[in-house]
Parts: sequence; C-alpha cells; structure tokens
Amino acid sequence: MTLAHYMTVSGLLFLIGIFGALTRRNIIGVLMSIELMFNAANLNLAAFDRFLHPAGAVGQTVAIFTMTVAAAEIVVGLALLLAIYRNTDTTYVEDFNLLKG
Amino acid sequence: MIEHAYLIPLIPAVASLIILFGAKEDPHSPLPWIGIGAMAFCLAISISIFAGFAAGTVALPYEHNWTWFSFATTIGGSSFVYPMSAGVLIDPATSLVLVAVTLVSLMVQVYSVAYMHDDKRYKRYFAFVSFFTAAMLGLVVSSNLLVTFMCWELMGVTSYLLIGFWFERTGPCEAQKKAFMTTKLGDCGLYLALLLIYAKVGSFQLTQIYQFFNSGYMPAAAATVCGLGILFGAMGKSAQFPLFIWLPDAMEGPTPGSALIHAATMVAAGILVVAKLYFVFLAAPIAMEAAAWIGLATAFLAAAMALVSYDIKRVLAFSTVSQLGFMMCALGCGGYTAGLFHLTTHAFFKALLFLGAGSVIHSVHTNDMRLMGGLSKKMPITFATMAVAVYAIAGLPFGSGYYSKDMILAAVWHHNHTIFWILLSAALMTAFYMTRLFALTFLGDDRDHEKHHHAHESPALITVPLVILAVFSAFAGVGLAHHGFINKVLPTPTIAVMPGAAPAATPASSASNELGATPAVATEHGTEKPEEAELPSWLSFTVIGLVIAAVLFALGMYGGSRFTAAEAIRSTFAPVVVVLDNRWYLDAVFLALVALCDQLAALAYWIDDNVVDRVFVDGWGLLMRLFAEASNFFDISLVDATVDGVGGLGNDLGLGLRSLVADGQVQEYLMYAAIAFALSATLILTR
Repeated sequence: MTLAHYMTVSGLLFLIGIFGALTRRNIIGVLMSIELMFNAANLNLAAFDRFLHPAGAVGQTVAIFTMTVAAAEIVVGLALLLAIYRNTDTTYVEDFNLLKG
Repeated sequence: MIEHAYLIPLIPAVASLIILFGAKEDPHSPLPWIGIGAMAFCLAISISIFAGFAAGTVALPYEHNWTWFSFATTIGGSSFVYPMSAGVLIDPATSLVLVAVTLVSLMVQVYSVAYMHDDKRYKRYFAFVSFFTAAMLGLVVSSNLLVTFMCWELMGVTSYLLIGFWFERTGPCEAQKKAFMTTKLGDCGLYLALLLIYAKVGSFQLTQIYQFFNSGYMPAAAATVCGLGILFGAMGKSAQFPLFIWLPDAMEGPTPGSALIHAATMVAAGILVVAKLYFVFLAAPIAMEAAAWIGLATAFLAAAMALVSYDIKRVLAFSTVSQLGFMMCALGCGGYTAGLFHLTTHAFFKALLFLGAGSVIHSVHTNDMRLMGGLSKKMPITFATMAVAVYAIAGLPFGSGYYSKDMILAAVWHHNHTIFWILLSAALMTAFYMTRLFALTFLGDDRDHEKHHHAHESPALITVPLVILAVFSAFAGVGLAHHGFINKVLPTPTIAVMPGAAPAATPASSASNELGATPAVATEHGTEKPEEAELPSWLSFTVIGLVIAAVLFALGMYGGSRFTAAEAIRSTFAPVVVVLDNRWYLDAVFLALVALCDQLAALAYWIDDNVVDRVFVDGWGLLMRLFAEASNFFDISLVDATVDGVGGLGNDLGLGLRSLVADGQVQEYLMYAAIAFALSATLILTR
C-alpha cells in the first residue's frame, strides 16, 4: 500500500463526485456527490499525513475538522433544500433559477 | 593728505547735491559758494599731493581700494569670487591732471558767479558744474575701470545738461542731443573694450590689468580690439575725427560751462582714458597707429575749419578739437609725456581763452568777431590775459604751448616724418587763427561803434580768475619743462613683454595670483624705449621761424581795422571756404548716414512685416494648423476607433458568451468551472 494507491482512490472518488454533481438532476444526489468530493479530500489529507509526516497528526486533525464542517454544511444545505422544496414543490436542479442574473 | 584723496571726487558731488536740493532757486543765492569752497578744498588736496610728490615727501603711485561688492565669475575656465572694489589710484600723471582740473574748475566757478548772476536757473548751473567736475575727478582718481566708466557716463549726462542749459531755445536742445548721441556712439566702443578686457583678465583693477599686459598674457588680437575700442570711446568723448561734430554745437551752453567742457573735463577725459590704458596701446601697434592718424586728421581738419570762422566761440571750439588731435596724435606716436603735458598746459590756456571770450561776449553781446575790434582799450585786463593765452596756444617761444607742442612734434618726428609735416602745418594754422582771433577782437579800430561804445571791462569776479589762469598759462610750460621735470612726472609707461611673446597662461590665474606671477622677460620692445627725443636743432629753429611767420602774417592780414586782403583771399578760394564753413560737410555725411539707417530700418521693417511675419510666422502657423488637423483626423479615425473597438470587442464577446449559457443552471456553471479548472491544471502540470 503506497501513497499512490490512496491517491488513486481519492482521485477516483473526486471524479465520481464531480460527475455526480454535474449530472444528477435531483438536488439530494448533488449534495451526496459533494460529500464524496469532501471525502476524497479527507482521504488525501490523511494519506499525505501518514506518508509524509508520520510523526505528527496535523493532517488527520484537519480531516476531522473538515468532516465536522461538512456535517454542518450538509445541515445548512438540507435546510435550504427544505425551504426551496416548500416554495417550489420540486427537487430538480434545473428548475432552480431564482439566482438568475 | 594723500590718504584723503578719495575725498577729491566726493566733496564736489556732495556739494552739488546740497546746491541742487539745499534751497529754492534765487538769482542771488549764496549756495554757489559751497561748490566753490568744495573745489578750493579739492584744489588744496591736489596741490598738496603734487607738491609733496615734487618735493619727494609723497610716494606715488598711491593706491587704496575698498571692496564694494563681490560676485562669482568664471573667466578662462576657472571660477572664483571676484571682489569688485572701488578705490583711488594716484600716479604722478594723475596728480598733475588733478591740479589742472580742480584749478580750472575753481576758476570757472568763481567766474560764473559774475557771469551767470542774472540767470533764472543760477543755482542749478552751479550744481551741474560741481557734479561735472566731481565726475571728472572720479574718472581721474579711480583705480577701477568700471568706476572710471561710470564717471565717464555721468560726465556724458552732465555735459548734456550743461550744453542744453538754456533749454527754452531750440539750438541748445538740438546741440545737447547731438552731443549726447555722438558721445554715446563712442562709448559703445569703450564699453565693449572694457568687457573684453574683463573677459580676458578677470579684473577691472588697473594695476592688475597692467600686470596682465606687462607679462604678455594678452593675445595680440584681443589687445588690438581693446585698443581700437578704447580709441573709439576717446574719439567720441575727446571729439576726434569723425565724431568731433558735436563739439562746435556744444557752444550753445553757457560760456563758462563750455570752458569747463573744453579745457579740463569732458574732452580731456578721452585723452586721459587713453593715457590710463596706454599699455593696451603699447601692446597693440595697430591701435597705436590708428590713434596717431586719427589725431592727425582731427588736428588738421579742425585747424582748417578754425581759419575761416568769424564766431569767436566757434574758433575756440575748433581750436580745442585741433589741440585734442595734437594730443591724440602724440599718444599714438609714442609721445605719452608730450601728449599729457599738452593736455595740462592746454587746460590752462584754453580755459583762459574761453573765459576771456566769455568776458568779451558778456561785454559786447555778440559772438561775431567782425563786430568787435579795438577792445584792447576798453577791456585792458581781458586783453592782457588773452594775449598771454594766445601767446601760449600759438606756440611762440617760451609760452606753455611752445614746450608741450615742441615735445609733441619731437615725438612725432621720431615716429613718422609724414605725420610730422602735416602736424606742423596744423600747428602753423593754430598760430594763424589764434592771432587772427586776437587781432579781430582786440586790435585795430572799432568796427561797430554802438557795441564798442557800450563795451566795458568785466567785474573783478571775472577778471581775477582770468589773471590767475594767465599766470598758470604763462608759467606752467616753463615750470614743468624745467630740467626735464615733466619726464619725471609723466614717465612713458612700458610693457615688459609684447603679446604673443609669453606662453599663453590661464588668464584668471594671473588675476587671482596677482603680481609677479612670471618674472618679466625684457625684450627689445620693452626696454629700448627711447628717452623723450629732441627735434634736430635746425628743425627746431625752422619750426619757431615758421610759427613767428604765421603769427606775423595773421597780424598783417587782420591787424588793421579793415581786412580787405583777407576778404580777397577768401573770395579767391571761395569753394574751399564754403567747404570749411560747412565743417567739411561731416554733419551732412552723418545726416546722410542717419537717413541711410532710417531707410535701412524701413527696409528691415518691410522685410519683417512681409517676409518674416507673413512667410515664416504666418506660414509656420498655417503649417502647424494643417499638421494639427491631420493629427486630429488620425486621432479620431485610427486611435480612438481602435480604443473604442477594443472596448466594444470585449463587450460583444461578453454578451455573446453569456447568450451561450443557459439561464441560472447551477450545474452548467459548475461544469464550466470544472472544465476551466481542468484545463488550467492540465496546462500548469504539463508545462
């Protein structure tokens, strides 16, 4: 198990997340894809910490922080989602155009 | 006493200011006596200096300078702070001239008290005379050439004021303008010469300039230009050919003022400045030769004019011009001693002649000698003193003029025989016309009974100065020439090295290092200055014989009550006489020159108006306007269009891109961001 393996997994995770975020019509799916990208980043942090600075735990700490922030973010996101859903009766992203400039 | 020499010009200047502003104009004002007292004091100082020098108790030359102001300057590549100083420099020659000037001025002022007594600008006249003398004395004693030049110009102004003293009449007005303009023309030359000297030497101090010339640092060409410039200034001031045209007209002023202008101050100034800067001429043989020939022309032409004039003051004016020509010619021929000696003796006898003529005019109220005659019985003192003066100026043996003119002729004889013979003819004419003046005025019978009947001897204030001046006229020549004393008083200056003989040094260094930077190398030019040579004895006796013959001839022609023989000669040579009466048509020549200048100015104006203004200025403006319009067109159609085009392109591009994007689709935005990010990352990573 080398750094390259972890990097590959995290790169795949990120690409899957990107793909999902771009292609899912359902807003729930988009949020889930974003979580995937978060986790790809977390995996990177943990892997670099493990292989480049085995003595310390800074990277893992930052990963924990990121998870916390992501949880909070999901809370805000779902709350927004509920508010939008109550107003528009839809969860499809292409129908959300309130922010059109 | 000599340490108070600076007072000599200052006291009359202060006196003139007191007279001018001290009190209201009043025909019986006592203020003129302030000027007379001041002049007497100056005379006392001058005499004490001269007597001290003669007795050997006062060491001359004496120099003392006070720093006036200083300024930074760059001369010949080296910069230094030049301390401009004003001071006095009294050498033996100066001390002699000081005595002559103060004495003549004192006598003129005493005389004027009586002569001007009923004039309505009585007080102002004395202020002018005092100031005039002050300016002359300043010129004489100054050790600084710039101060000398300032005094020179002040004298020009005061002569203007004196000549035009009776400015209600047109004659004096015209005369004063003529005198001022003519002398200014000469002053330009002097000023340029001074500037050139300063540019080369880096100093206005006479002693330093002398050192500079003495060491041969002055380039020969520059020395020649300086010499010619100084000569030109002297030509204006001392009425040399062809700038002597102002002097006969200057007779329009009050007669005692004319005496002052002609004897001691104005006209002597030019000769004196040439003498002060004689070393410049020694370094410039061309200028020297020019001085000799100009002096010669002046002496001859003026003497010829004096032969035919019947106006007593005119004859004296021409005589002054002629005598100044003698001096200039002597200086130009290397006769420094002779020239200044003649200046001194001439000051006395010419002042006496003018004052005597004034006394006669005062008595008979005319200038025309044809209306005089037989005045010897009516005015015995004037007659006797005039006789002394005429004897002196005619150059009869043992008169003042005899000694000085003899020295001049000797100097000229050893320089150039041609000049000698022409100058001798001028001297004979002098003897002739002075005797003629004397005979017409005092001898023979009265021609105008009315005028003769009213003629009377002048008051004591007029006759006493005449007698004093007569004593000086009679004995100045013999006294100064006694045992060669004049050679001690007026030693000919020499310069050790001719220009070009010494290696060219940095000019300013000698000015700042001052005296004796280089040991003076004597060359054959410097040391072998011959002593004042004598005329060969046969020639000397010939000259005396010819002068006596001229005097007797004049007495024979004009001594009687009628002068038919003279009139016959006059009508025989009528064309010549007409030329002489018209003063060689020099006035006409100058008027023609002025008219020509006027035409040239008109032509220049036309060229300026039509060619310069129209073609160059207007044409240039038109060209500029066309260019500006082309530039404007280029600016609008190319530069502005490009700027607008770039902006419009950005605008269009933005609008076009925006129209490609679907409205408000977050995922589409995100896709573009992802594509851009991916592209950028690819570009950066694969570089």
